[in-house]
Amino acid sequence: MIDPTGDGSVAPGLELVAVRRLIEPGVDAWLPLAPGDRALVAAGESVVPGAPVAEHLRDGRLLDGVDGTEGRPGGRWTGNVQVGARRRHAATATGELLYEAGGRWRVVAGEHFETIESPIAGIVHEVQPGVGIRVRAAGAAIRGRVALGGISRGRLEVATGPNGELLPRALDVGAAGSILVVGARIDAESLTRARAMGVRGIVVATLPSKDRRDFGASESRQRAGLHPVAPFGVLVLHGSVRRPIAAPLMALFESLVGTEVAILGRPAALVFDPNGVPLPLDPPDTVHARSGPLAGRVGRWAGLAGLRRFPGGSHLEAGFVRFGDDQPVAVPLADLERYG
Amino acid sequence: MTRDPRAFLALDLGAATSSVALVGRVAGHWRLLGSLSCPSDISVEALVGALVARAAAADPELAAELGVDPTAAADIPRLVARSAPPAAIGVVAASERSLAPLVAAAERSGWRVHAGSAERLDPLAMSRLLLDPTISTVLAGAGDPPGADERSALPELAALVAGVGQRRPEIGIVLAGALAEHQARFESHTADGSGDLLLGPAPTAGTPPGSSLGELLGRLRAPGDDARRSIAVAIGSLAEGLDRRIEVLDVGIDGGLRVVAAPGGPDEPARVVSAAVARAALAPEDVEDAVDGALGWATVSTDRHRTRDRLRELRLSPWSGVSGDGAAFRMAAARAALGRLVAATPDLDAMSAPDLVVVAGGAWQVAPGPAIALAVADIVRRPGVTQVAFDHARLLAPLGTIEAAAERRGMLADLADDLLAPLGTVVMPQGLRGGRSGGRLVVHGQTGTSELDLAAGGLELVDLPPGESAMAEFQFRDAVRLGARGRHFAVDVAGGLGGLIVDLRDVPLRLPERADRRRELLAAWQGALWPGMDE
Repeated sequence: MIDPTGDGSVAPGLELVAVRRLIEPGVDAWLPLAPGDRALVAAGESVVPGAPVAEHLRDGRLLDGVDGTEGRPGGRWTGNVQVGARRRHAATATGELLYEAGGRWRVVAGEHFETIESPIAGIVHEVQPGVGIRVRAAGAAIRGRVALGGISRGRLEVATGPNGELLPRALDVGAAGSILVVGARIDAESLTRARAMGVRGIVVATLPSKDRRDFGASESRQRAGLHPVAPFGVLVLHGSVRRPIAAPLMALFESLVGTEVAILGRPAALVFDPNGVPLPLDPPDTVHARSGPLAGRVGRWAGLAGLRRFPGGSHLEAGFVRFGDDQPVAVPLADLERYG
Repeated sequence: MTRDPRAFLALDLGAATSSVALVGRVAGHWRLLGSLSCPSDISVEALVGALVARAAAADPELAAELGVDPTAAADIPRLVARSAPPAAIGVVAASERSLAPLVAAAERSGWRVHAGSAERLDPLAMSRLLLDPTISTVLAGAGDPPGADERSALPELAALVAGVGQRRPEIGIVLAGALAEHQARFESHTADGSGDLLLGPAPTAGTPPGSSLGELLGRLRAPGDDARRSIAVAIGSLAEGLDRRIEVLDVGIDGGLRVVAAPGGPDEPARVVSAAVARAALAPEDVEDAVDGALGWATVSTDRHRTRDRLRELRLSPWSGVSGDGAAFRMAAARAALGRLVAATPDLDAMSAPDLVVVAGGAWQVAPGPAIALAVADIVRRPGVTQVAFDHARLLAPLGTIEAAAERRGMLADLADDLLAPLGTVVMPQGLRGGRSGGRLVVHGQTGTSELDLAAGGLELVDLPPGESAMAEFQFRDAVRLGARGRHFAVDVAGGLGGLIVDLRDVPLRLPERADRRRELLAAWQGALWPGMDE
């Protein structure tokens, strides 16, 4: 390897390169609830992966003018409702008090509930009926940029290299129950096929807007169906414009193969148990090109270049970076990052 | 700041860009010694260290005199302005009619608005809207007195909002207009919540209508050191100090700001009208809002999907790929955002034309000055003569945080020449007939006289460097509007990075319908002011 300063030290100015944290300890996972959903846990309780934390009311509807009820908004309610085409039959329904007006309560009620399981181990910090449950994760998290679909959990598998792309025909039921790392990009067709094959989630570097929109529409149709479907989450690590998964993240995923991980929606993150997982450590002068024409390449910091003129006629603060054995080139600081 | 410092740092910490400027007292005046802007995920202390080290290396004697020591950069006093994080407000009313002014007031005070009326949403849908955890404040309002279409629905609306307040004790609630009469329903919210209950004015109160509520909502959205609020304060002081009408057009990643300030009478503060608009963000949260605009101003061939991807990328990583055609795309998005800002503030258009337009915000950070002046001329189609300047070191916001008005005014007057980079003067006549010569221009400058023909429908550029002024004498073939209506005009013009830009295009601007011809035309106009844009 080439030592840019010749004495083993790092060239000055490296502190002007943004630092992205490889992992974060103790993120707060937000599990959203809607009015009518029933929380099964309380603040302070511990949860384990797969433990039921709430019941989602699938067919919530508003009941007007329920009287003779005490309580406060968000409180539970059980009572009889008239069902059937002509509302002639009484049935027991459960729901949630929405608000009280003129001495009578508006209630959200329904008959069909779906269990929401905790994707992670942790401690419940907050429960707000109709709003959400906050769980402090016991594991560590890799932050992404965007998460789509649901909160999911599965065994991590690496399906392609960092610059790869997963095609629909490459997916089969053998991947059922797993969360797949699929490289630089994936299209909506592959996403829907993965969901159909029982895959629990996808981790990908970038997802174009068109595929994001197509998948979102497909996911909405799935969730609108009567039968509950297994949660399926997509974690986008970098953005919308194609580039490979950053090298330290890929190294970390490779060391997590076979372990249980979870995809969260808010924050967009992948949570895992860090015990026994070796963290890839870059040499201190390593920098990664996160955008621009060199995106995805790894180099060594060779010092500040100052204000430089770049193609397109822009003047940008830049640094010299040595890629491989090549001569150092000036790269805008905005296109660089370090992992720490 | 400590008393009587000889140098200080001015920090504008935006959502996408951190900017640091070093200001020192030289020969009895405050002067800008240097500035540095970088993506906001770069350590601010690293930026400060780099800037101070550069300043000390450039002039060690001056640095020593001002007490600027690179080894003790953290000890240099600071003025700090921060962009308040984007916040969402839930706006509800009994009817669509009464909802409209509430939404308008919230949108002009920088909030991201999620709105619904009892006329369109059932109570369950409205509850879901307000229970969205991204919403930090609820604005519920009614006319004062309430209209016939809303009166009967107000008790139910108040009960619903009170129910939301009981579930989410941390949320802020504003009851505007006649809904304030129902405040008794919110006793439990004020008793056990950390959120506030505020009684606001009627949605249409104030001049212009809605300004009173907008002011309250603006204060709720952002604390005192918020960059956008500070810019409005600073520009008022600058208008007083320079005795000129000034307009600010600020576009950032999370929203836009438009301010018009006019000097008051003797011993009167400046009159300042401002509007912060979240939809005028460089890349708004809902990128669909921006796709058409960015496509319309694009100078390179692209399609909707690619434009959507790039806008989303801009939203997630505002500084990604700024070299190459990324800079031109950013300018297209900035023009579109500026268009949304101007469209959202028609009342500011109706005010007297400013003497000086100041462009500010991270959206312009990577473009050359002349191209910024052209972008303003493309969007703000106001016949007349306007000087355009750029807050290149992002000093306005930090200086606006100085609380003492006299001190702030003095500082801004001292620094005016340094903080405003002159981009040039735009002369925009209206009423030229296309297809023939529009007349002649003679520029009497300090170094000589130059003449040129005026071709209607295009741009004429006259080299006039920063610091120079000239007399421009126009002889139009037909009567045009240039402030007043006439054929002969003689106006004083100031130089800048883009010189004198004589904009002979249509007012309002008409662009070809065909995308390829439009792109070609936009690229030709922009290329004349942006060397190397096509590289």
